[in-house]
Amino acid sequence: MVKSTLSMVIVALILAAGIIYETTFIRGEFRELTVATETLYDKIEDKSANENDVYVLQKKWVSAKEKLHAFISHNEIKEFDMWIAETVKLVSASMWDEALSKTEVILELEEQIPKNFKVSFANIF
Amino acid sequence: MALICIRTLIIFLILVVVMRLMGKRQIGEMQPFEFIITLIIADLACIPMADLSTPLIYGVAAVLALFLLHQLFTLIEQSGSLPKKVLSGTPAVVINKNGVDMNELKKNNLGLDDLIESMRAQGYFSLDDVDYAIFESNGRLSAFENSERAKTPSSMPILIINNGKLLGKNLKVLQDDEEKLHGFLSTLGATLKNTEALTVDGEGRAYFKKRREKFKIINYPLRQGVKW
Repeated sequence: MVKSTLSMVIVALILAAGIIYETTFIRGEFRELTVATETLYDKIEDKSANENDVYVLQKKWVSAKEKLHAFISHNEIKEFDMWIAETVKLVSASMWDEALSKTEVILELEEQIPKNFKVSFANIF
Repeated sequence: MALICIRTLIIFLILVVVMRLMGKRQIGEMQPFEFIITLIIADLACIPMADLSTPLIYGVAAVLALFLLHQLFTLIEQSGSLPKKVLSGTPAVVINKNGVDMNELKKNNLGLDDLIESMRAQGYFSLDDVDYAIFESNGRLSAFENSERAKTPSSMPILIINNGKLLGKNLKVLQDDEEKLHGFLSTLGATLKNTEALTVDGEGRAYFKKRREKFKIINYPLRQGVKW
């Protein structure tokens, strides 16, 4: 009885800690990425962005995704990789309108991915 | 992870209800909720293992949530007779001193053939070999042997009537036709419809049970030379 209650408490604590860590970690990582993406977005809007500005975001993303792999679907990570790579190409070719729309998609993903982890009716079902 | 835990809980609860409604046919030697855990734990472990796009933690969280549910349900089940009854069901006495209890079999989604099969697995080939047979809540059959049971049965009884339904294929083994059977039943004051069980062995020894009456062991007039 003591053993099973103890095991229950330990597992419940592990799960609770995991839930809290996952939620705060994902939110934190995407908040940082959003700040970097917004900076890039402003520069693209001003048509003053260059490849290095996108590389800053890409570098941040590469370091974040090392850990994010453990929590979010690998397909979503692949999708994010592709959008950033496309933005690099478009900025280097000074295709500002296209680059802006790609950056908007990145911002949308940064907003939506953490929302997928929220406990809500839509996410449960 | 919170979503995985909630989704696991929902699926688990739905499966517990479904398994309880399915009766004892679907489980074997496990309580319904243990059976469900065994059923889904393999898949939970396999999906993140085989699908590389799914983070491994999805599987780990679900398995841990299931473990937690198992422990929780075990505690609830042991806390009293009502929770035990709700979660695991109660043993069903399917054979008593009056013979086979068809209502009890029906309640557990079992048929007479299922009972005979389970009895055979326990080494009892005739329905009157036991005074009591109980389907435990884990789906196993427990039997209280009849002290007058024939120790060396000469041939296996064949089920001829299963809850008012004639098993034509089995009747052919007796090399008899329906007409003769109806005649035999009328001598007992019964019809096919109100006969719950009729088994006949190679010596003509028959187990006969009419609805709402105690079973009888009678002699069935086998044709000359018919044996199996």
